[in-house]
Formats: sequence, C-alpha cells, structure tokens
Amino acid sequence: MSLAVIDAREWQRMFDLRTGVRVEEDSPLLRMVTELQARRPYPGDFDDAGNRWVTDTALDLIAGYDPSFVFLTYAWQFFVARYSVLTESEWASMVSSVYEEVNRFVARSGFTPVIVGTGGMIPFVDFIDVTRLDGLALSTHWSARHAGLHDGSRRDLEYLAALPEVERIVPRDEFRSLFAECRGDAFRIPEYLLVARPGYLFHTVGGAFRKVRRVPAPAHAIPLATTLGEASAITDVRGLVDSRISDTKIALIVVEGLGMDDFPWPHRRCGNGRGWFYYEPSDAQYLTLTTGRHKVFEYPTGYKYFKEDTEEKEYPLSGFFTSVPEDTVASGIEARSIAVGNRSMIMHMASGADISIECFARNLFNQGTLAVVHRMDKV
Amino acid sequence: MQCTYCEWRCELTGSRLGVCRMYAGENGVVRERFPYRWSSSIPSKVESVPFYHAWPGSRCLVIGTAGCNFRCRYCSNSFVAKQDPAAIQDGMVELTPPELIRKAKQMGCHSIVFNVNEPAVSLPSLVELAQEARAAGMPMGCLTNAYTTEESTEMLGSVFSFFNAGLKGLSAAFNREYIGIPSAEPVVRNIRRLAALGHLEVTTPIVESANDGEIEEIARFIANVDPEIPWHVFRLLPEDEMQGACYPNIDAIARTLEKVRGYLPYVYFHNFVGSDWVNTLCPGCGAVVIERFSLGCGGDRLCSFNGQGNRCRSCGREIRLHGEKIAWNAGEAPS
Repeated sequence: MSLAVIDAREWQRMFDLRTGVRVEEDSPLLRMVTELQARRPYPGDFDDAGNRWVTDTALDLIAGYDPSFVFLTYAWQFFVARYSVLTESEWASMVSSVYEEVNRFVARSGFTPVIVGTGGMIPFVDFIDVTRLDGLALSTHWSARHAGLHDGSRRDLEYLAALPEVERIVPRDEFRSLFAECRGDAFRIPEYLLVARPGYLFHTVGGAFRKVRRVPAPAHAIPLATTLGEASAITDVRGLVDSRISDTKIALIVVEGLGMDDFPWPHRRCGNGRGWFYYEPSDAQYLTLTTGRHKVFEYPTGYKYFKEDTEEKEYPLSGFFTSVPEDTVASGIEARSIAVGNRSMIMHMASGADISIECFARNLFNQGTLAVVHRMDKV
Repeated sequence: MQCTYCEWRCELTGSRLGVCRMYAGENGVVRERFPYRWSSSIPSKVESVPFYHAWPGSRCLVIGTAGCNFRCRYCSNSFVAKQDPAAIQDGMVELTPPELIRKAKQMGCHSIVFNVNEPAVSLPSLVELAQEARAAGMPMGCLTNAYTTEESTEMLGSVFSFFNAGLKGLSAAFNREYIGIPSAEPVVRNIRRLAALGHLEVTTPIVESANDGEIEEIARFIANVDPEIPWHVFRLLPEDEMQGACYPNIDAIARTLEKVRGYLPYVYFHNFVGSDWVNTLCPGCGAVVIERFSLGCGGDRLCSFNGQGNRCRSCGREIRLHGEKIAWNAGEAPS
C-alpha cells in the first residue's frame, strides 16, 4: 500500500493513496517524512520562496533517507510568468533566481544533475472563442493551446478552418497515427484536436479566472544540461539516468517555463515531440520524460476528464490519474529514490520515487503539502 | 436613481456605477452592464460548491460572472470579484441562456449553480437563464452573500431552488473590518427568508483571531432559524489582502464544533484536504449516511451514499435532503 500524508499546517492526516481511506501507520521512516513536512510548510505558488522550498525539502529528505536518485521540479517562475505582467529584467531576475536555487541544490547534494527545461514562454496574444460551437470544445491540463472537439459539426469545422489563429485541426485517426505505438492509450482522444497558433489560447467552457499573461512558447526542442551523455529526444532522457544510476548519484531536475533561449546552463537541444506535435508543460511531458516513451494519449488534452470522475475513481489525491503509471524512472531503480517539487499532484505519480513530497495546491490555492511513500522496504 | 438589488442601494445617477460596478442607470432604469457574460462555466461536483444536502453525487454546471458587492479581505476569487468588471471582460465568454443550457446538457450536467461571485450583481441575466433552465428541467442553485434587498431576495427565490448563504460573522466590527459592510443585519434577515424560500445551507469562513470567537453564537443563530440547516465552517485560506496571515488552527475549531454538533447536527468543517468533518451523520443514531472526501478549495466529492432515499438506513430517521441521489454520469448520453 502506498501511503499519502497531507500536511495542512499544524495538522496532518495519513491515507491509503489509492482509496483515500484514512490509515494510521508509524515507523521511523514515516516519522522522518511527517516531521519534515511539519518543518517545511509550502510558501505558495506565487511566493518567491517556493523554489527555495524545493531545494530545502530535497536536501532534508536526502539527509534523512540517503537516496541515489532524486527527481525535482522547480515551477515557481512558470506560475508567476503565466499570470503576472513582467518586464524583461524581472523575468531575467527570476531566471537567475531559479539558476541559483538549482545550483545550490547541486552543490550541497553532490548529485550529478540532468537538468531539463520544459519550454519557454511568450506573451499571450488573444483567445480563440470556441464556446459557441455546435460541438463541445474542452481544454485540460492548463494547456489551452490545445483543445479537444467532441461532436463537432461540419459547420464547426468550417468555422475553425477559416480562423487564421487556428494552426491545425487534427482528426483523431491522424493524431493516433502520429504516435502509432501509443494506440493502447488512445481511447480518450477527442474526435478532433485543435491546435492554436503560438500565443493564442482556446477559450473553452471552463473556468477563465485569472488573467493569463504568458503562455508556453513553441517548443519543438527543449534544453538539456548534463554531463552524463546525449539525448536527442525527450524519450532518451530516461536512458541517461538508467545507464549511469548504478555508479552515479543522479538528480533529474525539471525547470518549468524555461526554453532554449533562456536556459541558463550550457545545454544541448532535445527533441520535444514528433512531427508537428510538441509537448507543453503537462502531465504528458512529465510522463514522457520519466518513462522514456511518448505518453501523449494517456490523459490527452481536451478529453472528457469529468466522465471518469465517478464515486468509484481511485487516487483522490492524484488529480486526473486513475492509476500509478507503470515503469517510471524511479520505480525501476533498486537504490533509494526521492522526488520533491512545487508542481502539484504529479511528482508522486510521474516519478515512481520511494518517497515524494510535493506542494498540494488546487487552482494555485495553497493547501499544504502531500507526501507519498510508495516503498518502505529499502530501509 | 437608486439600485435596489442589494442593501448598498447605490445611487446610479449619471455615470455612477455603484459598489459592484455591474449596473448602470439608463433612462430611469437600472441596466445590467454585462449581460450573459460568464467568467466560469465548468462542470463540477455539487459537493464542491459546497452543497452537501442537495442532489448528492450530481454534476452541476458552475457559472459565475464578475464583480461583487462585498470587499472581503480574504477573497479567494478576488481576480474576478474585486476587479473592475469592465477590465476583465476580455476573459469572459458570452453565452445566451439557451446556449448555456445547451452547453450544460452537452457536459451532462444535472443542475446549474451560480458560484464565484455574488448572483445579485447579475440578476437580470439569471432571471432569463432560470426560465430556460426551468423549461429544460434543470434546477438552479447559488452561493450568495445574502446582502440583497428584500425585493431581490424574492427574486433570488424565483430563480434558485437551493441556496448556500454566506454568514461571515455577526458582529458589526468584524463585518466592517473584514467584509466592508456596516452590519450583518440584512444578511441575517435574508437567511431567515431564504430558509423559507428553498433549500438552504450556510457557510462561514473562520478567520483566526477575528471571528473564531463567534462560532457558537453563529451556530445558535442558525439552529434558531432551523436546526436542520447544514452549516459549512470553512478554514480560511489566507488569500488576497490576508496573504501572510495565520492559517486557523484546525484542532481548536474542531473542539468548538464538537459542542455545536449537539444542537446543529449537520455541521461540517472543511476547505482543507482530508477533513474528518465532511460526512453526514444521522442525527438519530450517528450512522454515516453520506460519506465524502475533501480536497479543499472546492474539491469535495461524494464517496458513498448510504441512505435509503432521504432516510437513515440504520434507524429510519429522516435526513434533510433536497432532491435525490444522482449518479455522476446520469446526464451523459448513452454511448
């Protein structure tokens, strides 16, 4: 059983991760984790201490568990840039801040880093209103550059085709054939995938609360900084870790919102998709990084996520996820592993690490932290 | 000319727009400035609104507009509710009432619930929407701060059949300092009226060292109106102007609520992940009639419904329920 511990500041509860049923277990390892959660409350997604929290929590967890593999995410700059008006110098200062924070982790931990940027950001241009179509357009995963179209009419398709802001209308079969090896996951794909031109977002039904200022930039390639070797594609990064983990302590570090142009470490180009498709910061990009296989269709953008959110749905603390993904990077490592990040509800699923601690935020509201212990048998 | 939608009764003469900035005076008539423009139209669990005793398990279309007549210092939706509504219209979607109902059906929704901001700031649009919803057999509910005039409270009653009214505090000092209104008297008056007009639940956010001393007084007031009213006590998330403030202590509030449960049986304490206070217990025998899981911030979900209709399966006592249990995918077209 995987255990989940919620820390809501001065208050903790332990659950079975799968069922959400409250449990009470105790061990020195669990005490180490829960005490760390109590000691390190999450400052919040927009707080400039959010990235420092990642480093500090990871260093504490290393001190308490002595892992050989670490998976980290630094996301503060992505959240702030998405919703704030920033000058170029303010953005440069934020990039500098995340650079120092990651370097502090590397210097203090002594781990060999594999640092990946998820892609840069560009100013938001405008919305493409698809709320009045005959069919139903949906966006998911913050990735409103993509939308799924369900039950679209001929009139919808003609209307969309005439919009210069729409880059591409991809029928389900065409999308499927681009990632033919992923057919098993393809049952959730909408009838059409709508792709907006850079800077534009589909305005679908849904919550359009906060005013978006920046959106993910086109990112056919993402930056990769490591001394471990070369990875020409996002699916090769996992292999770098696998090939050296037996003799090297490795930290796979994801830095959100940074692309080829603003990545502050010396880096190489790493392909971030296939053909016309490239990943935006999303569950799919994380899973592709950590499994070494394309995961475009597992929880595809624009799918009818709400249909699956029944009373029977398991993993209530894990967002869209309906099961623990198989063969993720840390799940295949014999040695100990941890994950820490300020991207909510994904670290424990995407990494497969023995222990993960992540912020628990919903719609950017800070609800505390979530620790997940998948493995207790390595101590 | 004077606006009569809420108790501010703002003067709308000339270019004056009033507190909520959602109405303007035009040719002697109060005109809605941004009709049919929605900040939100998203399918959601009715429990997440929160409604714990209305159509349990159902999927509702949560809608909202812009603007508010309150200035709560801790507002979680300040980026919609506190902004100048004119300045955020580019982020809104425009859907006429028939279009909105069609979208609700496409998303398999059973009801429509106004959330996000205050419905009194968009009442003309909601009156029209209610006509369409009624024709489509879709119930409508809302969250309201209940600062409406007596006249518009009746309008709320004509639009919505289930309400969750915010009762943020009773003391004038708290209401002045944290909410920006002179007193809670109109709210108290309207809560009594809403309880008569439809199904009513009440929500109170607890602000550490501000209204936590009023918990029992508020509970007694609600029990006096009707002891079967479900009461949602929210642990405040220090947002907006209160960023950096203390998170209220969960255990301390829970201790106070244990006493309250004796005379207000449907008391809930949530807005934090994993709360133990989200199940409906039978007031007669204590059996768990409805089991839920809370993710905080509008993330509550039904886990199991153990009632027999609106009765406790163990002792047969009636449980306050507006509507029956609805399966989550009941509104989906068969595939």
